[in-house]
Amino acid sequence: MESLLSLFPNPEDNFPLIAVILGLPLMGALINGIFGKRLGPEGVRTMALSAVGGSFLASLAAFLLLYARVQQASASLSEGAAVPHVKFVWNAWRWLALETTSIDVVFAIDSLSATMMLVVTGVGGLIHLYSTGYMAGDPSYHRFFAYLNLFIFSMLVLILGDNLPILFVGWEGVGLCSYLLIGFWFEADKNASAGKKAFITNRIGDFGLLFAMAMILHTTGSLSWAGIEARAPELFNELQIWPIGVAPSWLPAFLTSPVVVNYATLIGLALFLGCAGKSAQIPLYVWLPDAMAGPTPVSALIHAATMVTAGVYLVARMSFVFVLSPTAMMVVAGVGAFTALFAATIGLVQHDIKKVLAYSTVSQLGFMFMGVGVGAFASGMFHVVTHAFFKACLFLGAGSVIHAMHARIHDTDASQDMRNMGGLRKYMPKTYWTYMAATAAIIGLPLTAGFFSKDDILFRAFVNRIQPSGLLKDLAIRNAVQKAGAPLSDEAREAVVQGLHIPEWFSTAVFVVGVTAAILTAFYMLRTVFLTFFGDFRGWRIVPGWKNDDHDHDHHASHAHDEPIDGPVPHESPWAMWVPLVVLAFFALFAGWVNAGPFHLTAFSHWLEPSMQSGLKMVTTIKQGDELTHLEHLLLIPGVLAFLIGSGAAYWVYYVKKGEPARQAAQSAGGLYRLVLDKWRIDELYEATVLGAFHSLAETAALFDKWVIDGVLARLTTIVIQSFGSLFRAFQTGRVQMYAAVMVVGLFATGAYLLTAHGEVVVTKDEAGGMYIVEAAPGLGYKYRWDRDGDGVWDNPQLEQDETWTLLQKVQVQVPPGQETKVRVEVQNAFKMTKIREIVLRRPLPDKSRPDPVGMNVPIEVMP
Amino acid sequence: MNANILLGLSPLLIVAVGALVLMVVEALSRFRDERLESPSASLAVSSSVVLFASAIAAAGVWFYGPENLPEVSSLAPWLLLDRFSLFFFVILTLGGALSCLLAGGYLPEHKLDRGEFYPLLLLSTVGAMTLAAAGDMLTIFLGLEAMSLGVYTMVAFRRGSPRSIEAALKYFLLGSFAAALLLYGGALLYGATGHTDLSGIGSQLANTGLRLVKSDSEVPSDMLLIAYDNAVPLVMVGLVLILVGLAFKVSAVPFHMWTPDAYEGAPTPATTYMAVVVKAAAFALMLRVLLIAFADAKTASWGTGWPPVVAGLAVATMTVANVIAVRQESVKRMLAYSSIAHAGTLLIAVVAATKATQQAEASMIYYLLAYTVSTAGAFGTLILCGSRGAEAVSYEDLAGLGRRHPAIAFAFSLFLLSLAGVPPLAGFFGKFYLFRVAIDNGFTMLAVLGLLNSVIAAYYYLRVLVVMYMKEPEPGAPIAVPMRSGYVAAALLISAVLVVLLGLLPNGTLEAAILAAG
Repeated sequence: MESLLSLFPNPEDNFPLIAVILGLPLMGALINGIFGKRLGPEGVRTMALSAVGGSFLASLAAFLLLYARVQQASASLSEGAAVPHVKFVWNAWRWLALETTSIDVVFAIDSLSATMMLVVTGVGGLIHLYSTGYMAGDPSYHRFFAYLNLFIFSMLVLILGDNLPILFVGWEGVGLCSYLLIGFWFEADKNASAGKKAFITNRIGDFGLLFAMAMILHTTGSLSWAGIEARAPELFNELQIWPIGVAPSWLPAFLTSPVVVNYATLIGLALFLGCAGKSAQIPLYVWLPDAMAGPTPVSALIHAATMVTAGVYLVARMSFVFVLSPTAMMVVAGVGAFTALFAATIGLVQHDIKKVLAYSTVSQLGFMFMGVGVGAFASGMFHVVTHAFFKACLFLGAGSVIHAMHARIHDTDASQDMRNMGGLRKYMPKTYWTYMAATAAIIGLPLTAGFFSKDDILFRAFVNRIQPSGLLKDLAIRNAVQKAGAPLSDEAREAVVQGLHIPEWFSTAVFVVGVTAAILTAFYMLRTVFLTFFGDFRGWRIVPGWKNDDHDHDHHASHAHDEPIDGPVPHESPWAMWVPLVVLAFFALFAGWVNAGPFHLTAFSHWLEPSMQSGLKMVTTIKQGDELTHLEHLLLIPGVLAFLIGSGAAYWVYYVKKGEPARQAAQSAGGLYRLVLDKWRIDELYEATVLGAFHSLAETAALFDKWVIDGVLARLTTIVIQSFGSLFRAFQTGRVQMYAAVMVVGLFATGAYLLTAHGEVVVTKDEAGGMYIVEAAPGLGYKYRWDRDGDGVWDNPQLEQDETWTLLQKVQVQVPPGQETKVRVEVQNAFKMTKIREIVLRRPLPDKSRPDPVGMNVPIEVMP
Repeated sequence: MNANILLGLSPLLIVAVGALVLMVVEALSRFRDERLESPSASLAVSSSVVLFASAIAAAGVWFYGPENLPEVSSLAPWLLLDRFSLFFFVILTLGGALSCLLAGGYLPEHKLDRGEFYPLLLLSTVGAMTLAAAGDMLTIFLGLEAMSLGVYTMVAFRRGSPRSIEAALKYFLLGSFAAALLLYGGALLYGATGHTDLSGIGSQLANTGLRLVKSDSEVPSDMLLIAYDNAVPLVMVGLVLILVGLAFKVSAVPFHMWTPDAYEGAPTPATTYMAVVVKAAAFALMLRVLLIAFADAKTASWGTGWPPVVAGLAVATMTVANVIAVRQESVKRMLAYSSIAHAGTLLIAVVAATKATQQAEASMIYYLLAYTVSTAGAFGTLILCGSRGAEAVSYEDLAGLGRRHPAIAFAFSLFLLSLAGVPPLAGFFGKFYLFRVAIDNGFTMLAVLGLLNSVIAAYYYLRVLVVMYMKEPEPGAPIAVPMRSGYVAAALLISAVLVVLLGLLPNGTLEAAILAAG
């Protein structure tokens, strides 16, 4: 540590270790992508693993260094003072300098990004290791690892970027990698279209993020975290979003009544649209279950542990924007809670093990948004971390099972169908135990990591309140006064301040929905355990010593349900696959102790606090001190009960009764069952509504395109451009005489322009004196004569006419209100060419209907 | 003449001396046996080394600081060795070196392997550099002729081909015509002002105009009687002639008609050289002449002076060149029109320079650098696409290239996208800065027309991509067979790296350009 500290004497200003953390995965991606074929699988494996491993070690060093610095900084603090926000910065280069702001390529490590960075490189490294086994023998081995390394790089850019544009680069980068990896086996149409679905759905979210970026730049003039944070109160200004511009007066009044929102709400909602796209929340969650078409390690890494949590990270990162808007916070928490419940219901009935885990991920992401949405940013982030462990472990365990199933069933859907599994406990003990550990964590078995993180969120959802600061109250009252146009009464002021609070019932509702989702979670997760690992194996008839001698896999797979086929004993996976499982299972069980609230262990929350200080300033709890602790212990009961009810029910249905009650329920509630099994037919709904509308729009556009664009515009444009082209080409004869002639014409045209007199006139008004200033363009050898009073005689009539020329280029004319004056000017250039210009200055009477203290904002009409 | 002057002149001297030495070496060497050695192999490398050395010397002087070499000011006004000149030296030598490398691959492939191409190119570059640094009508003419004579010969380099000869002759005739106009304009200015140096002309013009001849206490003071300065008509005619001469050199419409023929008939490395080096030098000349000699409020007045003329040229150039480029079937000719269209865009900045000289000049310098690397790259890939007997000329020749030769197609796409102004490549920031300067200074209409033209231009650039990636050659149609050349590959690599770097790290270059313009 000492040597590290001496290596980077001033990490707050310059911390080039970040270049190593970022550079290694990028290098790995490039080398594997370009030379992968020549390196061979062994070389690709070494390259990919050492790239991500080296990045992990560097991240660990950076993390320890940051920890040491924070300790140093807080050691010298007085009791109760806030821990300073320590941030290691590496300023790579300045990308773009504008007058108002500049966009730098700059990366920073603070406690928030350091935590995410460790998760990404750590879990990412384990999944790389797992993939070396899982993907063995794939013809595109090198391509897979190139993408995977590129993903790690993009994700690190997203996390470490110190401003929104850099985050956006990473954001798009992970989206691209996700698209490439979902469609990794692009030979199958289904996979390719799943990739496209993810891509398109994410575009909708990206629109929100881009819009938010533009609004933030517009209001705060900055895009870096520190810059936005410093000027966050500006976001409390209000913006009229309707009507746009001036409404026509014939519209009914209710259509033109102004709609006003404050920027914070608009930006918060736009940001959340981006988060909902990336983190698969309602209404943009539909891509994630389909994304399971990608190889299972990809599902574990990108679609469970890291990328999909980017939205949560963004909310935590921009906490100081979200807390300014109660509406945005309510939307985040509400959508999160509803998604948690909704996705859990779909997870109850799916047969595909990866689909269950996918919906479980959507549901768990809902929990995280519930956390950050109620102002428990640290709890939300803590769930991100624990979820990364247990969900990665679950996916990898499922992958291990699917890997075993592939020994005989090669059809992707059939090999992932839990109805073909069962009893695998005996054959795959390591997979079974690690899967059990991760399940224990996700369903909230007391003292596991998932228990602590989930209960922290539920507890915070119940007790947290957003408490607007004094400044915010003042700003809200100012906005209200501006709107009313008069001072407010005390009651009205009170009402405005109350409007900044989230209603009381909301917290309770979120809490109840959360607990219900937790019950469902316990049920569907244990369902997968019992269906997969208990009972009898249903995939094929196990014949010990069976050798695969026919290669007509598909033929057998298609008959898998009808006539049992023979097959080998299911086997445990190789070490490269189970070692990551064991490590992840260990963390899934024990990582919770870094933030075990009920035991007063809050290291994790304290660690993150400095990164979210200004956001947390506006978050309070309903009780303080001992009463809060008491309440926390009390609120453990619903959480534990949820675990007991859910897992008890699953045990009874799927273990004791062997799934019989489920079948009966499915039959008796046939319609509802089918509805849930079809994922509430949301895809079909989107198909019918959004896509339907889109299609009919497209139809209309196509007709328009065919008749108006193609028929009229395109043909017209083509004819115009082609005739011009032919015209121009007619001169391009290739004959040099013609060229010279055209040049001479050009010469004469230029000459004719410059040798004639031009009476260009600019009229400006003198605000103070009510004067019009008429200025003729200056010209070499130009002289001017004026007729300022409009009497048709050049000024200074006592002189002879050809002596009235002056060098006076600019004149002032006073026009009384409601009258007009004609001003004439004649210019003469050095070639005795003259030009007369006449302008009428008309000064309308002041417009009495509008307040006009100066009397000068009447438009000046200049009649040429 | 002391050492500091030599140091200041070193970029010019290196190229001049290098050209002479190479000429002697080339004359004394005998390349009888073509299997053993071709002149290009050694000359292409050595002349590009000379040009890169000159660029390094220019960079050295830049970092040493021209203000630390007070002796070079004794060369003024004939040669102005300021940062403006130094930056242009880098652009010109870079363009020259890329053309050399392209020639190193192209000439042997097409059996044009005669060594005099390289000394010609180097001497022409000396002329171009002189032109960029010239501050006097005499040195301007010297530089212009030194540059042009070399280029005329390079265009005619394919002696056996009537088209090449015809192109050279057309270029020579019209070029002489334009040079005569420029010379005549300079003579008239000298007659009117008594100066041949640009700053002298400028300061004289600021005082020229109308002179007070009689003062009369009877009339108000602004009504004093006046008479003409006889110099004014001379100045105006001189301005017309010089404007036309400059417009010819930057090939603005309607003085552009020689360009497509000359570009198409010339061997492609010579085309590259013309599109890149000659054009950059002509813009340096234009900036110097218009913004030093004709920068006073009267001649640079929007109502009555040269800016409306240049704006008209800009609009005509962009529009006509883009409209014709859309209809071309030959990619080489399309690139010729594209280079004309880019000149039109640059003219917008010349107009904006009347309001904000530094910003507009900086944006032009940046644009020229981006344009240089993108254009050299585009012509270079076109060279690489073809080989003897199977040269890539038309769009059809490129069909299916994306599948057959992905690396070449990718490089071609990169350069064309940069020319079209797609972020984050060099061309995007060139356009971005240039249009922003125009809008900031109230030339919104010009910027809008420029953007509309960029849309038209995108059509014909993307058409190449469509043909390369989405079309397959007709069965039986002759397909272009790419040549193999390390020189061309090196030139493309340099251009590609610069195209990407200028897009990812635009800021340092822009700051340097602002420094150069200041």
